[in-house]
Amino acid sequence: METQAKNPNFNIASKKKKSAELSLGYNPYAKDKLYAVLFLGPSLLILALFVFYPMLRTIYLSFFLTNNLGKPTVFVGLKNYFALFSSNAYINSLIATLVYVIAVSIFTIAIGLVLAQAATKKVAGINFFRTIFSATMGVSVSVAAIFWLFIFNPSVGLLSQLFTALNLTPINWLTEPGWAMTAIVISTVWMNLGFTFLIFFGALQSVPYTLYEAAQIEGVSKSYQFFHITLPMISPTIFFVSIITLIESFKSFGLIDLMTAGGPNNATNLLVYRIYQDAFLNGNYGLASTESVILAVIIALFTFIQFKVLEKRVTY
Amino acid sequence: MKRKRTIFAALVIIFLAIIGFTFSQKSSAKADSRIKIVFWHEMTGPGQVQLNKFVKEFNDSQNKYVVVPQFEGNYNEAVQKILNTHGTSTSPALFQSMDISTSQIYNSGYTTPVQKFIDKEGYDTSKISAVARAFYSKNGTQLSMPFNTSQPVLYYNATLLKKYGITPPPVNPSYSDITRVATELYQKSGKKVKGLSVEIYGWLFEQFLANGGESLANNEDGHSGVPTSVNFSGTVATKTMKWLQENIKSGAFMNFGAGSSASANEMAAFLSGKLGMFLQSSADISQLTAGTKDKLGITYYPHADGQKSNGVSIGGASLWISNDKSSEVQQGAWNFIKFLMNAKNQATWQVATGYLALNKDSQDEPVLKKLYKSQPEAKVPGQQLRRTKPNNTNSGIFMQGLIQERTLTQTAMEQIYNGSNIKNSLVEAQKAMNSYITSDNLANKVNQK
Repeated sequence: METQAKNPNFNIASKKKKSAELSLGYNPYAKDKLYAVLFLGPSLLILALFVFYPMLRTIYLSFFLTNNLGKPTVFVGLKNYFALFSSNAYINSLIATLVYVIAVSIFTIAIGLVLAQAATKKVAGINFFRTIFSATMGVSVSVAAIFWLFIFNPSVGLLSQLFTALNLTPINWLTEPGWAMTAIVISTVWMNLGFTFLIFFGALQSVPYTLYEAAQIEGVSKSYQFFHITLPMISPTIFFVSIITLIESFKSFGLIDLMTAGGPNNATNLLVYRIYQDAFLNGNYGLASTESVILAVIIALFTFIQFKVLEKRVTY
Repeated sequence: MKRKRTIFAALVIIFLAIIGFTFSQKSSAKADSRIKIVFWHEMTGPGQVQLNKFVKEFNDSQNKYVVVPQFEGNYNEAVQKILNTHGTSTSPALFQSMDISTSQIYNSGYTTPVQKFIDKEGYDTSKISAVARAFYSKNGTQLSMPFNTSQPVLYYNATLLKKYGITPPPVNPSYSDITRVATELYQKSGKKVKGLSVEIYGWLFEQFLANGGESLANNEDGHSGVPTSVNFSGTVATKTMKWLQENIKSGAFMNFGAGSSASANEMAAFLSGKLGMFLQSSADISQLTAGTKDKLGITYYPHADGQKSNGVSIGGASLWISNDKSSEVQQGAWNFIKFLMNAKNQATWQVATGYLALNKDSQDEPVLKKLYKSQPEAKVPGQQLRRTKPNNTNSGIFMQGLIQERTLTQTAMEQIYNGSNIKNSLVEAQKAMNSYITSDNLANKVNQK
């Protein structure tokens, strides 16, 4: 429809057609409507089946207790919601998720930007480093988990051997609450870096070189150039990356499942992992649906805030 | 450009040919007029290899049935798959389901108790281990057939203890026996070798209670009725947690955390001589003997001081027959179960996997005798199993929501291992479990039954 409106010739042609139809007594818009249904129908059908129906069903289930076959049996209204918000474990999960999401987003963006900036330097062997920096894109979550588990292993791991060699007490990376979160953040940031690096690297390449030349003529320092030319010029990319990273980290699951399984003491039991546990391990679909609804609202809220706040700072 | 296109076309043709070939292969294999018994299992590694061998032998041994094994991933997820596919054409005729799903599967009403076939054919169950049978029965009715069965045991590195001149733990150790060995090992090795590790694993928590004769759930661990509350903070539980906490604090015990990474780390530490003892399933024996040259020692699961050990229950999974298939198919499933349970196959199963042979006659089978000759310690788990007299506290917990129970007890153990107040942690977990039970019973309307 949009292309029709934008194409003046097409418009005239269709108008001519319409007037012809009018004289024959047809409804002029009937055909448009038919086309609309024909073109949108299939995608609407798929969306309805795989997105809208599950969404509504989740909301519906969140008001019920489900039996061990996953069937809703007892209507409890908002009790599931109250139960969650009065449970310490759930509140802890919420806080842990916020800490995780914010830490992962900040570190991913900062380190990704530094690596991308470094990779723009034209020095010998730079292509090698560019490949290395983006290499984590090709690493699957399970491989990454095994790799990091080896590094964090308390008795034979790389880090504990390093610590012992330096006469330091080894850290129990995955069994102490605070360190477990740190370990998971480190692994996730590492996993995310490849993608972030590539996007930032692409953005840096597109900053017009003339701007830097002008700055050099003015005799401006490198750091001034970075903050006043580079950052504003790639701000839309930063905005894009921050939203993607944020949503992705809200949804992260694989590394947690494989490395800590939500432990120790629920320190890394993030919202999505909790949903998985409640639905597919405990068979508590009602509660899991409630948690999903809450998560969806939180993500929507964050995205909204980001659009409102960050968009203003995007230069163009 | 043109050349590229030709290459591309050639690749497409090859690809299609491969697909066509595989499908034609499959359809020719399907041309089997025997009655199909779809069998869902969750065995990996050596267990899967041996199970597939059994299936092949069974299929070759007769021409009425053909068992089709299908791997369904891990135990937890398999339960949901079984419940959600029941009554459809994809559902299995025979399936393997883990120990702690027993009550849930029974309550679904989706299965035919194997007792029906036992009665019909006068099958002699006295040959099958009583402790294992008790775990999967309700009011004297055998619901499913115990299959891969393990016992929790204490493993120790005999070579390492000898090196430091430490007397190994006795056959039936108490907590203080273990503390002695662990502390000596930790001290004499210059704090380089940890004494003991008890993985944060709900199964082990349940076993401490079973061995102390303490019920975890009311109504006698669910054997006399649907449980309505749990008790995580009883005498045995508190005593055990205190023992663990004190020794972790002193450095003699090691905390590897929870989950699959914990057991892998624990195993790695033991195999590399950085850990002297650990509590784990007897099914790990083959992996342990293959992984190190050090001599492996095995003893019974430890019990609290000043009391007799009540005996531990089992772990593993059992075989269930679905009731959504014709009686002919169900009969075939039962025949396959009988085949798996015969003395020879049970002996082979223990040798191949480390799971225990449940048929009493298996002990006389040459394969098992040969194993005992080369590895005398492999006898210990079976001895522990046979010496235990089943009662309500050591025959598993007949309750829904045991996965939740494990998550909660594990969280409590994590807190305790990191130094929290024992009573508070246990009571908090207990409260959470009780509210779960209340809503679960309400949702399943079990009290109205």
